[in-house]
Amino acid sequence: MPVLRKGRRDRDRAFRLALVAPSIAVLLLVGVFPLVYLIVVSFQNLTMSDTDTSFQGLLNYRLLLADARLWQSLLHTLVFIAVALPIELVLGLAMAQLFIERIPGRAVFVALLVLPVLVSPIVAGATWSLMFDNRFGPINQILGWFAGHPVSLLWTIKPELVYPAILVAEVWQWTPFMFLLLLAALAAVDRSQLEAAAIDGASWWRTFRQIVLPAIWPVMAVAILIRALDLFRLFDVVWALTKGGPGTMTETVSMFAYVRGFQQFETSYVAAVSLLIIVLLSTIVLWTLKRVELAR
Amino acid sequence: MKRSVRRKLMVALRTAAALLLTILFLFPIYWLFMISFKTAEEIFAFPPKWWPSRIGFDTYAVLFKDGDAATVANSLVIAGASTLIAMFLGTLAAYSLARYRTGGEHLANWIISQRMVPPIAVVFPIFLLYVFFGWVDTHVGLILLYTAFNLPYVIWMMRGYILDIPRALEEAALVDGLTPWQVLWQVVLPMSRAGLFATAIFTFVFAWNEFIFALVLTRTEVTTYTVQVTHYFGGQSNFWAKISAMSVLGTLPIFIVVGFMQKYLVRGISMGAVKG
Amino acid sequence: MVQASHGRMAAAFRRALLPALAIVSMAFSGTALAQSAAQRAADAAKKICAGKTITIVWEAGLQSLDPLNFSGPKWEQLTGCKVKVVEVPTAEMFTKIMQEYRAGTGAYDALNVIPAWMPDLVQAGALENLESYVDKYGYRAELKTIAPTYRDNQMTVNGKIYGFPDDGDVFLFYYRKDLFARPDLQKAFKAKFNYDLAPPKTWKQFDDIGSFLTEALKAEGIYGGSFFREPPYTMFMFQERFRVEGGKFFDAGTMKATVNSAVGVKVLTEMRNENRFMPPGVEKFGFVENLAVFLDGKSAMTISWPPYGRFAAGYLSEEKALAWVPKSKIAGKVGYALPPGGHPELAAGFALSVASTSKQKEAAYLFIQWLNSEEISLQRVQLPYALRDPFRDSHYTDKDYMAKWPDAKEYLAALGEGAKTGLLDLSLIQTDKYEEAIRQGISKLWAGEDPKKILDEVAKQWDEITQRVGLDKQKAVYNAWAAKGGAYPK
Repeated sequence: MPVLRKGRRDRDRAFRLALVAPSIAVLLLVGVFPLVYLIVVSFQNLTMSDTDTSFQGLLNYRLLLADARLWQSLLHTLVFIAVALPIELVLGLAMAQLFIERIPGRAVFVALLVLPVLVSPIVAGATWSLMFDNRFGPINQILGWFAGHPVSLLWTIKPELVYPAILVAEVWQWTPFMFLLLLAALAAVDRSQLEAAAIDGASWWRTFRQIVLPAIWPVMAVAILIRALDLFRLFDVVWALTKGGPGTMTETVSMFAYVRGFQQFETSYVAAVSLLIIVLLSTIVLWTLKRVELAR
Repeated sequence: MKRSVRRKLMVALRTAAALLLTILFLFPIYWLFMISFKTAEEIFAFPPKWWPSRIGFDTYAVLFKDGDAATVANSLVIAGASTLIAMFLGTLAAYSLARYRTGGEHLANWIISQRMVPPIAVVFPIFLLYVFFGWVDTHVGLILLYTAFNLPYVIWMMRGYILDIPRALEEAALVDGLTPWQVLWQVVLPMSRAGLFATAIFTFVFAWNEFIFALVLTRTEVTTYTVQVTHYFGGQSNFWAKISAMSVLGTLPIFIVVGFMQKYLVRGISMGAVKG
Repeated sequence: MVQASHGRMAAAFRRALLPALAIVSMAFSGTALAQSAAQRAADAAKKICAGKTITIVWEAGLQSLDPLNFSGPKWEQLTGCKVKVVEVPTAEMFTKIMQEYRAGTGAYDALNVIPAWMPDLVQAGALENLESYVDKYGYRAELKTIAPTYRDNQMTVNGKIYGFPDDGDVFLFYYRKDLFARPDLQKAFKAKFNYDLAPPKTWKQFDDIGSFLTEALKAEGIYGGSFFREPPYTMFMFQERFRVEGGKFFDAGTMKATVNSAVGVKVLTEMRNENRFMPPGVEKFGFVENLAVFLDGKSAMTISWPPYGRFAAGYLSEEKALAWVPKSKIAGKVGYALPPGGHPELAAGFALSVASTSKQKEAAYLFIQWLNSEEISLQRVQLPYALRDPFRDSHYTDKDYMAKWPDAKEYLAALGEGAKTGLLDLSLIQTDKYEEAIRQGISKLWAGEDPKKILDEVAKQWDEITQRVGLDKQKAVYNAWAAKGGAYPK
C-alpha cells in the first residue's frame, strides 16, 4: 500500500510539474533578459548622446529619489487607482447582479455592454477627447440642454475638470471588464443555498454578505488585483485627453517613463525608475495578498 | 401584491435599468461608429451632428482597397493564436496551482509579478532580444510576446475560477478511476466554462489592443490594427472617418464572438442550478 | 590678303571650336553639367541597386502617399531599385529611428528627419555625413537653389551636410480678404482705430482687428480669429512671437535661460487675452479643429502651415486621400500674408537623410538626391495629396503651380517671402526637453496660471536641462544655432 501511494505521489508530482512547466518556460524566455538588462543598465549612464557603459554606482537611484516630478506622477497614479477601482468594482458588481437573473434580451445586453472594453484605449481616448470638445462634442451640448443655457466647460484644459474627465473615460471603458468577470463568478454561486436563504426570509444584504460574497471572492480578488495593476499602467486615455496636462497635473507614472525613456532616451534613469516601481508594486501586492490570504 | 405581479414588475424594472445602462455605455460607441459614415464637415459640425446625412460605406471601401483592413486580419491571427496558447498553457498551470499548490506562494507570486513590470521599460531590451533571435517584424514574435504577457493573467484568473469549484466532484471522479489528466479535462474544465470564456475574452482583448510592443517590434511586414489606427493621427491631418471605420472593423470580430459565445456564460449561470 | 583672311577665318573657327567641342563632349560624356542631378542619381542607382530594396522611414498617413504612390514606383521604374516605405506615426518617428540605430539593426537606409532633431541624431551618430556623396554626384549646384532659409538652416550640423531640406513648412497668415474688403467693416474699423483694415503688421493690430471683427460679425457667428492652441502647435507660435518681439532664448555668454524676460511674459499674456475673441474652447483646437472652423468660414484670421492655403482654395478637394478635409466654403476668399512681425516660424519641416548604420548607403543617398532634386521635387510638391510644401526658389515661380487656382500666385509669393525671412525652430541637444517645458507652460497658461510664474518655471527647467546636458557643450551648440541666419530676426 505505501509503495502504491508513493508511486501515486510521484505520478502526481510529475503531473503537476508538467502542467506548469511550459508556462514557466515562456515566462522565463521573455522575462529574464529584460530584467537583467534593467538591473545592469540602471547602474550605468546611458542617455541619448552617451553610450558609455561604465559603472556609475547609485547615480540614477539618487537622482530618482530627488525627482519631484516622478513622485508626483506616482501620486497621480495612486489617485486614479483609488477612485476608479472602487467605482468600477461596485458598478460592475451591481451590473452583474442585474443580469444574473433572466430578463428579456439579456444575451443582447451582455454582448453590447462588453463593447467599451473592446475599443482600443487609444481610440477610446481620442473619442472622449472629441466628445468633451467644447465646439464639436456632444457632452457640453447635452449639459447645456439640462442647464437651459450654453455650457462651455473645458474638460481637458481646466485643472478642476481634468480628473473627472479622465475618470469618466476610464470607468466607462473598464467597468464592463469587472462586470463580465463577476457575472461569470456569480454563475458559480450555489443556487440551492440562495433559495434556502430566500425561504428563510434573509435580507438581500445578508444573503449577499454570507453566501454570495464568499463564493465569488476568489475571482473578485483577482479581478481587483489585475485591475489595480493595469490602472497602475494607465496611459492611453490620459495621454489622449490631456497629455499629462495642465502642466504635469495628470501625468501618470507610465507617461513619465514614456517621455523620459521612450522619447528622450534616458535609458539608465528609466531603468532605475522601473526597478523602483517593480519593487514598490511587489511589496504592496505581496503584503496585501498575505493579509488577504489569497495565496493559500 | 401578488407574487407573479411582483415578479413581473421586478423584471420590468431590471429591464429598464439594463436599457438605461446600455444606452449610457453605448453612447460613446455610437458616437465613434457614426463618424465612419459622416463627412468631414459633419464630424466637425457646430453644433455637433448626432447622425450622418447618409449612410455610405465609402470609407470602408477605401480601407479594404488600400489594404488597411488587412491589419485587422493580422491582429486576429496574432491575438487569436496567443489567446489560444495562453489559455491552454495557463489553465493547465492554474489547475496545478489551485489543486496541488505547486510552488506554493512563491511561484504564484512570481507569476503575477511579471505583470508589475512597466512595459515602457522593457520595450527596448525585448527589442534587443528579438533582434538577436530574428523575431522582429514577424507574427511569431508578437504571438510569443502576447502569450507571455497574458499567462500571468490567465493563470491567476483561472486559479480563482477553479478554486470556486467544489473538490468533491474531482475526488469522486478520481475514485471512479479517472486519471488526473482526465479529471482535468472531463470534470474541471466543463465546470469552469464561464470562467474560461470570461478570461479568454479579456486575454484576447489585451493582445488585440496592445500598442507599444506592436509599434516597436514591427516595421513593415506585420502591422497590427492598433498600430495602423495610429497612422491616422497626424500632426497635419486626422483621418477621423478611417479611425472610426477601422474601430468598427476591429471591434466587430470580437463582438460577434462574444455574441455567439456568451450563451456559454448564460448557460454557466444556469448550470449553477443544476449543480445545486 | 589671302593670308589675312585665312587668319581671320582661322580665328573665327578657333572661336567657334571651343564651344562646339564642349557641346560635343557634353553630348558624349553624359555626366557633365547638362545632365540634371536627378538624372545623374538615377543613372548611378541603376548600376548599383537594381533588384535590391532600400527602406525609407516616412511619416505615416498623408505624407507617405508620396513614396507609396508616386516617387517609390517611379524610382523603381527608372532604376530597378525597390523602395520599401516604413510608415511611422509622427510622434514615434524619432524613437523608432534611435532604437533601430541603438540596436544596430541596419534596418533603415534612408530617413525623414525633422531638422530640429538633427543635432541630437548627429551627436548620437545616427546620421551619415553626406558631404562626400554630394561631391561625388555633383549635387552642390542644386542644393544652392533651395530657398535660403531652408538651405542655410536645415541642412548642416557643425558645418557638415547631414540632410536635404525637403519640406517648406512655414507658418503663413491666412485671412478672409472678402471680409477685409467689406466697405462697412472698413469704415467702422477706421473710425474706431484710426488706421486701415488690412492684414496686421503687429500683434497689437491683430488684437484690434480680431476683437473688432468678432463684435461686428457676431450675428453671423464669425470670429475675428482662431488658432490651433494645443500645446505642441502653440509651442511653435510662442517661439516665433517671442523672437519677433525681441526676445532671446538664452544669454549667449552664461547660457542662462532668458525666456522669462518681460518679452516672454508679454507674449504669453497677449496670447491668453486673444482667446477672448476666439471661438470658446479654442484652447483645445488642434490642426484639424482649427482647419474646420476656418474652412467653415467662421474665422476671419488664422496662422498655419501651407496646406491650409491649398485646402482653403478647395484645390483638388475630390482627391480621395483628402476626404478628411472639410469642404471649403471660402474658396477664392482667402488672402495670404506673413504673420504679424513678418518673420514666420519654419515650424517642424522635414529633411532627407541617410542612416549611418545602413548597409546600402550609396543607394539610399541616390534615392534622396533624386527625391530632393529640382526636377522631381517640383513634381512632388504639386502632388494633390502631398503635404510637402514648396521649398525651392523654382517652386515659388513655377507656372503650373501658379495656375492651379486663381490666387495660387499670391500664395506662392507669400511662401517665397516666408522662405526668406523665416525663423528656425530652436535646435539644441535634447531639444525635446526644452520644447516639453514650453508645452507644459502653454497648458498651464490655458488652465489659468500667471504668465510670469509659468515662464519662471520654464526658465528654471531649461537651466536644469542645460546643467544635465553640460553647460559648455550646450553653449557651443546654442551659439552655433544662434549664428545661423534664421535663428533671430535681423
